Amino acid sequence: MSQADAVRAEVETMLALVRERYGSRLDAEQLAGVRTAIEGIVQAARALRAVRLSNADEPAPPFAAYRADL
Amino acid sequence: MAEDVVFTPVRQLAEGIRARRLSPVALAETFLDRLERLGPRYNAVVTVTRARALEQARRAETEIAAGRYRGPLHGIPYGAKDLLATSGGIPTTWGAAPFKDRCFDFDATAVRKLEAAGAVLCAKLAMVELAGGMGYRQPNAAFTGPGVNPWNREAWSGGSSSGSGSAVAAGLVPFAIGSETWGSILSPAGNCGLAGLRPTYGRVSRHGAMALCWTLDKLGPLALTADDCGLVLDAIAGRDPADPTTVDRPYRYDGGEPAVRRFRFGVLRGIADGCEEAVRENFVGSLEVLRGLGTVEEVALPDLPYDDITRTILFAEAASAFEDLIESGAIAGLTAPEDRYTAYARDVILAKDYLKALRLRGVMAREADRVLAPLDALVAPGRSTVAAMLGGEVRSAIRGTARDVMGAVGNGAGLPAVAVPNGFGARGLPTSLQFMGRAWEENTILAAARAYQSATDWHRRHPADS
Repeated sequence: MSQADAVRAEVETMLALVRERYGSRLDAEQLAGVRTAIEGIVQAARALRAVRLSNADEPAPPFAAYRADL
Repeated sequence: MAEDVVFTPVRQLAEGIRARRLSPVALAETFLDRLERLGPRYNAVVTVTRARALEQARRAETEIAAGRYRGPLHGIPYGAKDLLATSGGIPTTWGAAPFKDRCFDFDATAVRKLEAAGAVLCAKLAMVELAGGMGYRQPNAAFTGPGVNPWNREAWSGGSSSGSGSAVAAGLVPFAIGSETWGSILSPAGNCGLAGLRPTYGRVSRHGAMALCWTLDKLGPLALTADDCGLVLDAIAGRDPADPTTVDRPYRYDGGEPAVRRFRFGVLRGIADGCEEAVRENFVGSLEVLRGLGTVEEVALPDLPYDDITRTILFAEAASAFEDLIESGAIAGLTAPEDRYTAYARDVILAKDYLKALRLRGVMAREADRVLAPLDALVAPGRSTVAAMLGGEVRSAIRGTARDVMGAVGNGAGLPAVAVPNGFGARGLPTSLQFMGRAWEENTILAAARAYQSATDWHRRHPADS
Protein backbone atom coordinates (compact mmCIF):
# COMPACT_ATOMS: atom_id res chain seq x y z
CA MET A 1 0.00 0.00 0.00
CA SER A 2 1.43 3.40 -0.94
CA GLN A 3 1.77 6.10 1.70
CA ALA A 4 -1.05 8.09 0.12
CA ASP A 5 -3.29 5.01 0.22
CA ALA A 6 -2.36 4.42 3.86
CA VAL A 7 -3.23 8.01 4.76
CA ARG A 8 -6.50 7.77 2.90
CA ALA A 9 -7.38 4.51 4.63
CA GLU A 10 -6.63 6.00 8.04
CA VAL A 11 -8.74 9.08 7.28
CA GLU A 12 -11.64 6.92 6.09
CA THR A 13 -11.46 4.73 9.21
CA MET A 14 -11.55 7.76 11.48
CA LEU A 15 -14.31 9.40 9.47
CA ALA A 16 -16.34 6.21 9.75
CA LEU A 17 -16.07 6.44 13.53
CA VAL A 18 -17.25 10.07 13.51
CA ARG A 19 -20.09 9.13 11.19
CA GLU A 20 -21.03 6.28 13.51
CA ARG A 21 -21.07 8.55 16.56
CA TYR A 22 -22.40 11.79 15.15
CA GLY A 23 -23.50 11.14 11.58
CA SER A 24 -27.15 11.84 12.30
CA ARG A 25 -26.25 15.44 13.17
CA LEU A 26 -24.07 16.16 10.19
CA ASP A 27 -25.05 17.03 6.64
CA ALA A 28 -22.86 16.28 3.64
CA GLU A 29 -21.12 19.65 3.72
CA GLN A 30 -20.31 19.30 7.39
CA LEU A 31 -19.02 15.78 6.91
CA ALA A 32 -16.74 17.10 4.20
CA GLY A 33 -15.45 19.64 6.69
CA VAL A 34 -14.88 16.90 9.25
CA ARG A 35 -12.98 14.90 6.63
CA THR A 36 -10.71 17.89 5.96
CA ALA A 37 -10.10 18.29 9.69
CA ILE A 38 -9.31 14.59 10.07
CA GLU A 39 -6.86 14.80 7.18
CA GLY A 40 -4.99 17.47 9.14
CA ILE A 41 -5.05 15.36 12.28
CA VAL A 42 -3.71 12.32 10.44
CA GLN A 43 -0.94 14.32 8.78
CA ALA A 44 0.11 15.72 12.16
CA ALA A 45 -0.01 12.27 13.76
CA ARG A 46 2.14 10.78 11.03
CA ALA A 47 4.69 13.56 11.50
CA LEU A 48 4.81 12.76 15.21
CA ARG A 49 5.09 9.03 14.62
CA ALA A 50 8.04 9.60 12.28
CA VAL A 51 10.20 10.89 15.15
CA ARG A 52 11.91 8.16 17.13
CA LEU A 53 12.17 8.55 20.89
CA SER A 54 13.91 6.55 23.55
CA ASN A 55 12.12 4.46 26.15
CA ALA A 56 13.03 7.06 28.78
CA ASP A 57 11.36 9.99 27.00
CA GLU A 58 8.38 10.63 29.28
CA PRO A 59 5.34 12.74 28.50
CA ALA A 60 5.66 16.35 29.63
CA PRO A 61 4.36 17.38 32.09
CA PRO A 62 5.30 14.27 34.11
CA PHE A 63 2.84 12.66 36.48
CA ALA A 64 3.22 13.55 40.17
CA ALA A 65 1.83 11.62 43.09
CA TYR A 66 -0.80 13.48 45.07
CA ARG A 67 -1.17 13.86 48.80
CA ALA A 68 -3.46 16.42 50.39
CA ASP A 69 -2.01 18.79 52.94
CA LEU A 70 -3.83 18.08 56.18
CA MET B 1 -12.54 64.62 33.30
CA ALA B 2 -11.15 65.50 29.89
CA GLU B 3 -10.36 62.58 27.60
CA ASP B 4 -6.68 63.50 27.54
CA VAL B 5 -6.11 60.58 29.90
CA VAL B 6 -7.01 58.22 27.06
CA PHE B 7 -3.95 56.49 25.60
CA THR B 8 -1.94 57.39 28.69
CA PRO B 9 0.08 54.39 29.89
CA VAL B 10 -0.77 52.85 33.23
CA ARG B 11 2.51 54.04 34.74
CA GLN B 12 1.67 57.70 34.07
CA LEU B 13 -1.95 57.30 35.16
CA ALA B 14 -0.67 55.77 38.39
CA GLU B 15 1.62 58.72 39.02
CA GLY B 16 -1.35 61.05 38.61
CA ILE B 17 -3.52 58.99 40.93
CA ARG B 18 -0.85 58.68 43.56
CA ALA B 19 -0.23 62.44 43.48
CA ARG B 20 -4.02 62.92 43.60
CA ARG B 21 -4.02 64.85 40.35
CA LEU B 22 -6.30 62.15 38.92
CA SER B 23 -9.48 60.91 40.54
CA PRO B 24 -10.12 57.15 40.25
CA VAL B 25 -13.85 57.85 40.10
CA ALA B 26 -13.48 60.38 37.30
CA LEU B 27 -11.10 58.04 35.51
CA ALA B 28 -13.59 55.19 35.75
CA GLU B 29 -16.39 57.44 34.49
CA THR B 30 -14.28 58.44 31.48
CA PHE B 31 -13.53 54.88 30.45
CA LEU B 32 -17.03 53.59 31.26
CA ASP B 33 -18.45 56.27 28.97
CA ARG B 34 -16.04 55.27 26.22
CA LEU B 35 -16.86 51.58 26.66
CA GLU B 36 -20.57 52.30 26.38
CA ARG B 37 -20.24 54.78 23.50
CA LEU B 38 -17.46 53.20 21.42
CA GLY B 39 -17.49 49.57 22.52
CA PRO B 40 -20.27 48.58 20.07
CA ARG B 41 -18.32 50.12 17.17
CA TYR B 42 -15.62 47.48 17.67
CA ASN B 43 -17.76 44.60 19.01
CA ALA B 44 -15.32 44.84 21.90
CA VAL B 45 -17.55 44.53 24.93
CA VAL B 46 -19.86 41.88 26.32
CA THR B 47 -20.78 43.61 29.58
CA VAL B 48 -19.92 47.05 30.92
CA THR B 49 -19.58 46.51 34.67
CA ARG B 50 -20.52 50.06 35.65
CA ALA B 51 -21.85 49.40 39.15
CA ARG B 52 -18.89 47.27 40.20
CA ALA B 53 -16.44 49.71 38.63
CA LEU B 54 -17.83 52.74 40.41
CA GLU B 55 -17.91 50.90 43.73
CA GLN B 56 -14.26 49.88 43.30
CA ALA B 57 -13.26 53.36 42.10
CA ARG B 58 -14.93 55.06 45.08
CA ARG B 59 -13.16 52.67 47.42
CA ALA B 60 -9.83 53.44 45.74
CA GLU B 61 -10.44 57.16 46.01
CA THR B 62 -11.27 56.89 49.71
CA GLU B 63 -8.25 54.72 50.45
CA ILE B 64 -5.81 56.93 48.56
CA ALA B 65 -7.20 60.04 50.23
CA ALA B 66 -6.56 58.31 53.55
CA GLY B 67 -2.96 57.58 52.55
CA ARG B 68 -3.48 53.88 51.86
CA TYR B 69 -2.01 53.64 48.35
CA ARG B 70 -1.80 50.03 47.21
CA GLY B 71 0.47 50.40 44.20
CA PRO B 72 0.51 51.25 40.49
CA LEU B 73 -2.80 49.59 39.62
CA HIS B 74 -4.72 51.32 42.40
CA GLY B 75 -7.63 53.13 40.76
CA ILE B 76 -6.69 52.00 37.23
CA PRO B 77 -9.61 50.85 35.03
CA TYR B 78 -9.28 47.60 33.09
CA GLY B 79 -11.23 45.02 31.13
CA ALA B 80 -11.18 41.23 31.42
CA LYS B 81 -11.62 38.73 28.63
CA ASP B 82 -15.03 37.18 29.13
CA LEU B 83 -13.65 33.78 30.03
CA LEU B 84 -12.73 34.96 33.53
CA ALA B 85 -15.39 34.22 36.11
CA THR B 86 -16.94 37.21 37.83
CA SER B 87 -19.40 37.24 40.70
CA GLY B 88 -22.20 39.67 41.39
CA GLY B 89 -24.49 38.73 38.53
CA ILE B 90 -22.03 39.75 35.83
CA PRO B 91 -22.31 37.15 33.05
CA THR B 92 -19.30 35.12 31.94
CA THR B 93 -20.10 33.99 28.43
CA TRP B 94 -16.91 32.49 27.01
CA GLY B 95 -17.95 34.36 23.85
CA ALA B 96 -20.40 31.58 23.09
CA ALA B 97 -24.15 31.88 22.54
CA PRO B 98 -24.96 28.76 24.62
CA PHE B 99 -23.45 30.53 27.66
CA LYS B 100 -24.54 34.11 27.06
CA ASP B 101 -26.63 34.30 30.22
CA ARG B 102 -24.43 32.16 32.48
CA CYS B 103 -23.17 33.65 35.77
CA PHE B 104 -20.70 32.38 38.35
CA ASP B 105 -20.78 33.10 42.07
CA PHE B 106 -17.05 33.68 42.43
CA ASP B 107 -14.25 35.71 40.91
CA ALA B 108 -11.39 34.17 38.99
CA THR B 109 -8.11 34.41 40.86
CA ALA B 110 -6.74 36.94 38.36
CA VAL B 111 -9.80 39.16 38.88
CA ARG B 112 -9.47 38.78 42.64
CA LYS B 113 -5.77 39.66 42.56
CA LEU B 114 -6.43 42.73 40.44
CA GLU B 115 -9.10 43.82 42.90
CA ALA B 116 -6.58 43.37 45.71
CA ALA B 117 -4.18 45.60 43.77
CA GLY B 118 -6.92 48.23 43.57
CA ALA B 119 -7.65 47.92 39.86
CA VAL B 120 -11.15 48.81 38.67
CA LEU B 121 -13.02 46.24 36.56
CA CYS B 122 -14.93 48.24 33.94
CA ALA B 123 -15.88 45.59 31.38
CA LYS B 124 -15.99 41.97 30.38
CA LEU B 125 -14.49 41.96 26.92
CA ALA B 126 -15.53 40.08 23.82
CA MET B 127 -13.66 37.04 22.56
CA VAL B 128 -13.82 34.35 19.93
CA GLU B 129 -16.27 31.71 21.11
CA LEU B 130 -14.61 29.16 23.41
CA ALA B 131 -11.30 30.95 22.77
CA GLY B 132 -11.24 29.61 19.25
CA GLY B 133 -11.03 26.02 20.38
CA MET B 134 -13.63 24.64 18.00
CA GLY B 135 -11.75 25.33 14.75
CA TYR B 136 -13.08 28.69 13.51
CA ARG B 137 -11.78 29.87 10.15
CA GLN B 138 -13.04 33.47 9.95
CA PRO B 139 -13.54 36.45 12.27
CA ASN B 140 -17.30 36.13 12.73
CA ALA B 141 -16.99 33.52 15.44
CA ALA B 142 -18.53 35.10 18.54
CA PHE B 143 -22.10 35.85 19.51
CA THR B 144 -21.06 39.49 19.87
CA GLY B 145 -19.90 39.61 16.25
CA PRO B 146 -16.40 39.77 14.82
CA GLY B 147 -13.81 41.80 16.73
CA VAL B 148 -13.31 45.04 14.79
CA ASN B 149 -9.86 46.56 14.49
CA PRO B 150 -9.60 50.24 15.54
CA TRP B 151 -6.90 50.80 12.91
CA ASN B 152 -9.16 49.70 10.09
CA ARG B 153 -12.76 48.87 10.78
CA GLU B 154 -12.87 46.41 7.90
CA ALA B 155 -10.19 44.32 9.59
CA TRP B 156 -10.22 41.89 12.50
CA SER B 157 -8.83 42.58 15.96
CA GLY B 158 -8.44 39.02 17.21
CA GLY B 159 -8.09 36.36 18.04
CA SER B 160 -9.09 35.03 20.38
CA SER B 161 -8.73 37.91 22.86
CA SER B 162 -10.34 40.17 20.26
CA GLY B 163 -12.12 42.52 22.66
CA SER B 164 -9.04 42.82 24.85
CA GLY B 165 -7.10 43.95 21.77
CA SER B 166 -9.62 46.38 20.31
CA ALA B 167 -10.61 47.84 23.69
CA VAL B 168 -7.06 48.82 24.62
CA ALA B 169 -6.22 49.97 21.08
CA ALA B 170 -9.34 52.16 20.93
CA GLY B 171 -8.66 53.69 24.34
CA LEU B 172 -11.66 52.07 26.01
CA VAL B 173 -9.51 50.75 28.88
CA PRO B 174 -5.84 51.33 29.78
CA PHE B 175 -5.16 47.60 29.95
CA ALA B 176 -6.92 44.28 29.58
CA ILE B 177 -6.46 40.66 30.52
CA GLY B 178 -6.40 38.11 27.74
CA SER B 179 -5.61 34.43 27.50
CA GLU B 180 -3.38 32.47 25.19
CA THR B 181 -3.44 28.80 24.34
CA TRP B 182 -1.67 29.38 21.03
CA GLY B 183 -1.50 32.98 19.83
CA SER B 184 -4.48 34.54 21.56
CA ILE B 185 -2.52 37.28 23.36
CA LEU B 186 0.26 37.91 20.87
CA SER B 187 -2.07 37.93 17.85
CA PRO B 188 -4.55 40.58 19.03
CA ALA B 189 -1.66 42.62 20.43
CA GLY B 190 0.04 42.48 17.04
CA ASN B 191 -3.13 43.08 15.07
CA CYS B 192 -4.02 46.11 17.19
CA GLY B 193 -0.58 47.70 17.66
CA LEU B 194 -0.29 46.91 21.38
CA ALA B 195 2.04 45.28 23.83
CA GLY B 196 0.89 41.81 24.82
CA LEU B 197 2.59 39.55 27.35
CA ARG B 198 2.24 35.77 27.41
CA PRO B 199 3.67 34.71 30.77
CA THR B 200 5.44 31.44 31.47
CA TYR B 201 3.00 28.56 31.89
CA GLY B 202 2.33 28.31 35.61
CA ARG B 203 3.12 31.95 36.36
CA VAL B 204 -0.50 33.12 36.55
CA SER B 205 -3.37 31.17 38.08
CA ARG B 206 -6.10 30.09 35.66
CA HIS B 207 -8.55 29.32 38.46
CA GLY B 208 -11.91 30.62 37.31
CA ALA B 209 -10.80 30.87 33.69
CA MET B 210 -12.40 28.75 30.99
CA ALA B 211 -10.23 25.74 30.29
CA LEU B 212 -9.48 25.17 26.64
CA CYS B 213 -6.30 23.12 27.05
CA TRP B 214 -5.06 22.43 30.56
CA THR B 215 -1.41 22.18 29.62
CA LEU B 216 -1.36 25.16 27.24
CA ASP B 217 -3.63 27.89 28.68
CA LYS B 218 -2.04 31.07 30.06
CA LEU B 219 -3.45 34.43 31.19
CA GLY B 220 -1.66 37.70 30.52
CA PRO B 221 -2.05 41.43 29.91
CA LEU B 222 -2.50 43.57 26.81
CA ALA B 223 -1.53 47.19 27.31
CA LEU B 224 -0.08 50.26 25.61
CA THR B 225 3.52 49.46 26.57
CA ALA B 226 5.68 46.55 27.63
CA ASP B 227 6.28 48.40 30.89
CA ASP B 228 2.55 48.39 31.61
CA CYS B 229 2.45 44.65 30.95
CA GLY B 230 5.08 44.20 33.65
CA LEU B 231 3.08 46.24 36.12
CA VAL B 232 0.01 44.09 35.50
CA LEU B 233 1.92 40.80 35.64
CA ASP B 234 3.30 41.85 39.02
CA ALA B 235 -0.27 41.98 40.31
CA ILE B 236 -1.61 38.74 38.85
CA ALA B 237 1.40 36.40 39.15
CA GLY B 238 1.88 33.92 41.94
CA ARG B 239 1.10 30.49 43.26
CA ASP B 240 -2.54 29.64 43.80
CA PRO B 241 -3.61 26.43 45.56
CA ALA B 242 -6.72 26.50 43.38
CA ASP B 243 -4.56 26.06 40.27
CA PRO B 244 -2.09 23.23 40.82
CA THR B 245 -0.08 24.21 37.74
CA THR B 246 1.04 27.46 39.36
CA VAL B 247 4.51 27.39 40.83
CA ASP B 248 6.01 28.74 44.00
CA ARG B 249 8.26 31.27 42.28
CA PRO B 250 7.48 34.74 43.59
CA TYR B 251 7.49 37.33 40.84
CA ARG B 252 8.35 41.01 41.19
CA TYR B 253 8.42 43.17 38.10
CA ASP B 254 11.76 44.86 37.61
CA GLY B 255 10.86 48.04 35.77
CA GLY B 256 14.28 49.61 36.05
CA GLU B 257 15.70 51.49 33.09
CA PRO B 258 17.29 48.96 30.69
CA ALA B 259 19.59 51.50 29.02
CA VAL B 260 22.64 50.33 30.93
CA ARG B 261 22.56 46.74 29.74
CA ARG B 262 23.36 45.17 26.40
CA PHE B 263 21.20 42.35 25.11
CA ARG B 264 21.99 39.19 23.24
CA PHE B 265 19.27 38.40 20.72
CA GLY B 266 18.80 35.30 18.60
CA VAL B 267 16.87 34.88 15.36
CA LEU B 268 15.78 31.47 14.15
CA ARG B 269 17.09 30.79 10.68
CA GLY B 270 14.42 31.56 8.09
CA ILE B 271 11.91 32.80 10.65
CA ALA B 272 10.64 35.59 8.37
CA ASP B 273 10.26 33.30 5.34
CA GLY B 274 6.66 33.21 4.27
CA CYS B 275 5.78 36.47 6.01
CA GLU B 276 4.04 39.28 4.17
CA GLU B 277 6.49 41.68 2.58
CA ALA B 278 5.79 44.54 4.98
CA VAL B 279 6.07 42.21 7.96
CA ARG B 280 9.46 41.04 6.73
CA GLU B 281 10.65 44.58 5.97
CA ASN B 282 9.56 45.84 9.38
CA PHE B 283 11.28 42.90 11.04
CA VAL B 284 14.52 43.72 9.20
CA GLY B 285 14.15 47.30 10.41
CA SER B 286 13.59 46.08 13.96
CA LEU B 287 16.75 44.01 13.82
CA GLU B 288 18.66 47.18 12.98
CA VAL B 289 17.24 48.82 16.09
CA LEU B 290 18.11 45.76 18.17
CA ARG B 291 21.71 45.82 16.93
CA GLY B 292 21.91 49.22 18.61
CA LEU B 293 20.82 47.58 21.86
CA GLY B 294 23.10 44.54 21.73
CA THR B 295 24.01 41.69 19.44
CA VAL B 296 21.85 39.72 17.03
CA GLU B 297 22.86 36.23 15.93
CA GLU B 298 21.29 33.52 13.84
CA VAL B 299 20.41 30.33 15.69
CA ALA B 300 18.71 27.08 14.77
CA LEU B 301 16.42 24.53 16.37
CA PRO B 302 16.65 20.87 15.40
CA ASP B 303 14.21 19.63 12.81
CA LEU B 304 11.13 18.53 14.75
CA PRO B 305 7.42 18.74 13.88
CA TYR B 306 6.84 21.66 16.27
CA ASP B 307 3.48 22.77 14.89
CA ASP B 308 2.21 19.18 14.87
CA ILE B 309 3.25 18.64 18.49
CA THR B 310 1.41 21.65 19.86
CA ARG B 311 -1.55 21.23 17.50
CA THR B 312 -2.11 17.62 18.54
CA ILE B 313 -2.00 18.53 22.23
CA LEU B 314 -4.39 21.41 21.67
CA PHE B 315 -6.90 19.40 19.66
CA ALA B 316 -6.93 16.45 22.03
CA GLU B 317 -7.25 18.52 25.20
CA ALA B 318 -9.89 20.84 23.71
CA ALA B 319 -11.95 17.81 22.66
CA SER B 320 -11.79 16.54 26.22
CA ALA B 321 -12.36 19.93 27.88
CA PHE B 322 -15.53 20.44 25.84
CA GLU B 323 -16.60 16.81 25.81
CA ASP B 324 -20.09 17.62 27.12
CA LEU B 325 -20.65 20.40 24.61
CA ILE B 326 -19.48 18.24 21.71
CA GLU B 327 -21.20 14.98 22.64
CA SER B 328 -24.49 16.70 23.47
CA GLY B 329 -24.50 18.46 20.13
CA ALA B 330 -24.71 21.86 21.84
CA ILE B 331 -21.90 23.11 19.59
CA ALA B 332 -24.66 23.51 17.01
CA GLY B 333 -25.53 26.70 18.88
CA LEU B 334 -22.17 28.32 18.18
CA THR B 335 -21.91 31.28 15.81
CA ALA B 336 -19.32 30.20 13.24
CA PRO B 337 -20.71 27.45 11.00
CA GLU B 338 -17.38 25.59 11.09
CA ASP B 339 -17.39 25.62 14.91
CA ARG B 340 -20.56 23.51 14.80
CA TYR B 341 -18.84 20.42 13.39
CA THR B 342 -15.01 20.66 13.26
CA ALA B 343 -14.57 19.43 16.82
CA TYR B 344 -16.14 16.08 15.95
CA ALA B 345 -12.97 15.28 14.02
CA ARG B 346 -10.93 15.53 17.20
CA ASP B 347 -12.94 12.78 18.83
CA VAL B 348 -10.85 10.27 16.93
CA ILE B 349 -7.34 11.39 17.87
CA LEU B 350 -5.54 8.31 19.10
CA ALA B 351 -4.33 8.30 22.69
CA LYS B 352 -0.95 7.08 21.51
CA ASP B 353 -0.59 10.07 19.20
CA TYR B 354 -1.50 12.49 21.99
CA LEU B 355 1.06 10.82 24.25
CA LYS B 356 3.66 10.99 21.49
CA ALA B 357 3.01 14.71 21.27
CA LEU B 358 3.48 15.01 25.04
CA ARG B 359 6.71 13.05 24.88
CA LEU B 360 7.98 15.19 22.01
CA ARG B 361 7.01 18.27 23.98
CA GLY B 362 9.68 17.32 26.52
CA VAL B 363 12.27 17.13 23.74
CA MET B 364 11.02 20.43 22.33
CA ALA B 365 11.23 22.15 25.72
CA ARG B 366 14.81 20.97 26.27
CA GLU B 367 15.92 22.00 22.78
CA ALA B 368 14.27 25.40 23.09
CA ASP B 369 15.96 25.97 26.43
CA ARG B 370 19.32 24.92 25.01
CA VAL B 371 18.99 27.51 22.23
CA LEU B 372 17.67 30.19 24.57
CA ALA B 373 20.12 29.65 27.43
CA PRO B 374 22.92 31.90 26.13
CA LEU B 375 20.43 34.49 24.83
CA ASP B 376 18.27 37.15 26.41
CA ALA B 377 15.56 36.51 23.85
CA LEU B 378 14.65 35.00 20.54
CA VAL B 379 13.12 37.69 18.34
CA ALA B 380 10.72 37.19 15.45
CA PRO B 381 7.77 38.80 13.72
CA GLY B 382 4.81 38.68 16.09
CA ARG B 383 2.63 37.43 13.24
CA SER B 384 3.39 36.54 9.65
CA THR B 385 0.62 38.79 8.32
CA VAL B 386 -1.30 41.89 9.27
CA ALA B 387 -4.84 41.36 10.56
CA ALA B 388 -7.25 39.44 8.35
CA MET B 389 -10.17 41.28 6.78
CA LEU B 390 -13.55 40.74 8.43
CA GLY B 391 -14.94 38.88 5.44
CA GLY B 392 -11.83 36.83 4.83
CA GLU B 393 -10.34 33.63 6.10
CA VAL B 394 -7.93 33.70 9.03
CA ARG B 395 -4.60 32.02 8.32
CA SER B 396 -3.83 29.90 11.35
CA ALA B 397 -1.03 27.61 12.41
CA ILE B 398 -3.55 25.84 14.64
CA ARG B 399 -5.45 24.67 11.57
CA GLY B 400 -2.27 24.19 9.56
CA THR B 401 -2.91 27.00 7.07
CA ALA B 402 0.16 28.91 8.28
CA ARG B 403 3.40 28.02 10.01
CA ASP B 404 4.24 29.42 13.42
CA VAL B 405 7.34 27.79 14.89
CA MET B 406 7.72 30.50 17.54
CA GLY B 407 4.11 30.06 18.64
CA ALA B 408 4.28 26.28 18.55
CA VAL B 409 7.49 26.14 20.57
CA GLY B 410 6.61 29.02 22.87
CA ASN B 411 3.20 27.69 23.77
CA GLY B 412 4.09 24.03 23.63
CA ALA B 413 7.06 24.58 25.95
CA GLY B 414 5.24 27.17 28.07
CA LEU B 415 7.73 29.97 27.42
CA PRO B 416 7.09 33.68 27.99
CA ALA B 417 6.89 36.14 25.10
CA VAL B 418 6.01 39.77 24.67
CA ALA B 419 4.87 41.37 21.42
CA VAL B 420 5.23 45.09 20.69
CA PRO B 421 4.34 47.13 17.59
CA ASN B 422 7.12 47.64 15.05
CA GLY B 423 5.48 49.38 12.08
CA PHE B 424 2.57 49.20 9.68
CA GLY B 425 1.74 47.03 6.72
CA ALA B 426 -1.07 46.61 4.23
CA ARG B 427 -4.27 48.60 4.73
CA GLY B 428 -2.73 50.72 7.49
CA LEU B 429 -2.61 47.78 9.89
CA PRO B 430 0.10 47.32 12.52
CA THR B 431 2.86 44.73 12.47
CA SER B 432 4.66 43.46 15.53
CA LEU B 433 7.91 42.15 16.96
CA GLN B 434 8.04 39.40 19.57
CA PHE B 435 10.65 38.65 22.21
CA MET B 436 10.56 35.10 23.59
CA GLY B 437 12.64 34.08 26.59
CA ARG B 438 13.54 31.14 28.79
CA ALA B 439 10.98 29.97 31.30
CA TRP B 440 10.50 32.49 34.13
CA GLU B 441 12.48 35.22 32.32
CA GLU B 442 9.61 37.68 31.95
CA ASN B 443 11.76 40.47 33.39
CA THR B 444 14.45 39.86 30.78
CA ILE B 445 12.12 39.95 27.79
CA LEU B 446 10.24 42.92 29.23
CA ALA B 447 13.54 44.78 29.66
CA ALA B 448 14.39 44.03 26.04
CA ALA B 449 10.95 45.14 24.84
CA ARG B 450 11.18 48.32 26.93
CA ALA B 451 14.59 49.05 25.44
CA TYR B 452 13.13 48.57 21.95
CA GLN B 453 10.22 50.86 22.80
CA SER B 454 12.63 53.45 24.19
CA ALA B 455 14.31 53.50 20.78
CA THR B 456 11.10 53.60 18.71
CA ASP B 457 7.77 55.39 18.79
CA TRP B 458 5.37 52.88 17.25
CA HIS B 459 3.63 52.45 20.60
CA ARG B 460 2.85 56.16 20.77
CA ARG B 461 0.70 56.02 17.64
CA HIS B 462 -3.00 55.45 18.08
CA PRO B 463 -5.92 54.95 15.71
CA ALA B 464 -7.45 58.18 14.42
CA ASP B 465 -10.81 56.43 14.37
CA SER B 466 -11.04 56.27 18.15
